[in-house]
Amino acid sequence: MIPARPSPNWPLWIGVVGFLAAMTVWSAYGIGFSASELACNIAGGTRLLEESWPPDFGFLPRLAGPMMETVYIAIIGTVVGGILAIPVAVLAARNLTPNRPTWFVDRNFMNILRTLPDLFWAMLFATAVGFGPVAGALALTVFTVAVISKLYSESLESIDMGLPEAIRAAGGNWLQMIQFGALPQAMQQYVSYALYAFELNIRASVVLGLVGAGGIGMILETQRANFEYERVTMIILAVLVAVLIIEEISESIRKRLT
Amino acid sequence: MTAPKPPVSIDPLKRPGPPIGFGTMVTFVIGVLFFGSLAAIGFTPDRLIEVPAGVARVLSFFWPADMAYGWDRVLPAIVESIQIAWIGTIIAAILSLPLALIGSRVLFPRLARGVKLISATARAFPEILLAIYFVPIVGLGAFAGALAIGISSVGMLTKLGAEVVDSLDFGTVEAVEAAGGSRLLALRWAVLPAVLPEIVAHWLFRFELNIRASAVLGVVGAGGVGGVLLNTLRYRHFDKAAAVLILTILVVLLIDMLSGEIRRRIIRS
Repeated sequence: MIPARPSPNWPLWIGVVGFLAAMTVWSAYGIGFSASELACNIAGGTRLLEESWPPDFGFLPRLAGPMMETVYIAIIGTVVGGILAIPVAVLAARNLTPNRPTWFVDRNFMNILRTLPDLFWAMLFATAVGFGPVAGALALTVFTVAVISKLYSESLESIDMGLPEAIRAAGGNWLQMIQFGALPQAMQQYVSYALYAFELNIRASVVLGLVGAGGIGMILETQRANFEYERVTMIILAVLVAVLIIEEISESIRKRLT
Repeated sequence: MTAPKPPVSIDPLKRPGPPIGFGTMVTFVIGVLFFGSLAAIGFTPDRLIEVPAGVARVLSFFWPADMAYGWDRVLPAIVESIQIAWIGTIIAAILSLPLALIGSRVLFPRLARGVKLISATARAFPEILLAIYFVPIVGLGAFAGALAIGISSVGMLTKLGAEVVDSLDFGTVEAVEAAGGSRLLALRWAVLPAVLPEIVAHWLFRFELNIRASAVLGVVGAGGVGGVLLNTLRYRHFDKAAAVLILTILVVLLIDMLSGEIRRRIIRS
């Protein structure tokens, strides 16, 4: 005998699909999604695309300096942020934190750091310390702490607790337990997260300049404002090549680690 | 009874140390890169001393936050950011679902390579760079932002989706084909039901990421709350900027919580 066909839970399905459809229609209306406007604009759009090709290769030499600045900002942000992320991650790991209030405060601190996107930090620091690469480096430091601490604290929560307990039993204090029992166990993950954060930082530092926080984004912003789209294309191509190279390097380092 | 084994003799003076060569080298290289970068961008110690004072001074202007401005101006902008993220995610979901199926190495070994290339290219562009192109094409505003978010999300969703399909147990596919079903029927009845929960969870996760991404698109004129923050900071209305930050943090936390809860339920069921 053939078993009865399982019947789906219709009210649930109708509810979910209805909610999704309503949300989509409301959003489409809210952002002014209109096909006719798109059709009208597309002509101007193709003209723009024609203008932005071919890229202005004569502009390339002027990009070297800002591109290096972008890399410097990313390095500083990753190193400082990577170091600061360690205590934040340890205190937010349930199995290592000294007491519950510390855990609670640190956990929420971490979550709030993560809610703000990188460009918000860049805008804040550019206002606080003035336009330039220093603001960018500070913004990426905060961003790196947010990225690494969350991932690293999750890795720390899944370590083997036998080793830290042994150190405690042998009379080691809390700091020694963390240093010799906990951190080395998740060292590989930490390095791989730091490399991942570095990749993100290179991408992010490209756009930091849009709000005046240094790097190649500053040039991008001036050329964009002047509608020099051949140059914009050139900058974006250069950025893509740089990002791909950095990712290739960090990927090969990561492969060797594991 | 056997006598216990004599302990392996360890000379306490000759403890095997860690292999110092490699670690020292890495530390040295990172240190050189770090201090070189500091010097290159002009981050001298006296600049460093100014930083906490500067941050504290600006922060002191943030209080009290102008919440009236927050409710009137900021909240609509945040709603617009959410709408941008939603439409972007929907665009990406619709485009990436077929691509994820075609991108499966097991199902379509030949096509998968091409799909991989497409998704890698799409992932290489940060959404804000795409927005720079979409703003002049479709006009200033939220629609350009939604398109940029959508296109740049396709890459990641395709990659993750194809991985989910590849991790599938293909017994059911064989069963459908053995029973006389076509490849298409196998996709519909064997693959799709098995992978959809996980793929939908990825969509939701991408929606969370897209909310943050759409919040910054305003910087290039693509709608959302980023433009509001940029303007308040540019004109030094720090109390209004504080309202932007507070409301953004609250809304993002709320959506993360909701979406995280839904994701957990989808995966569990």
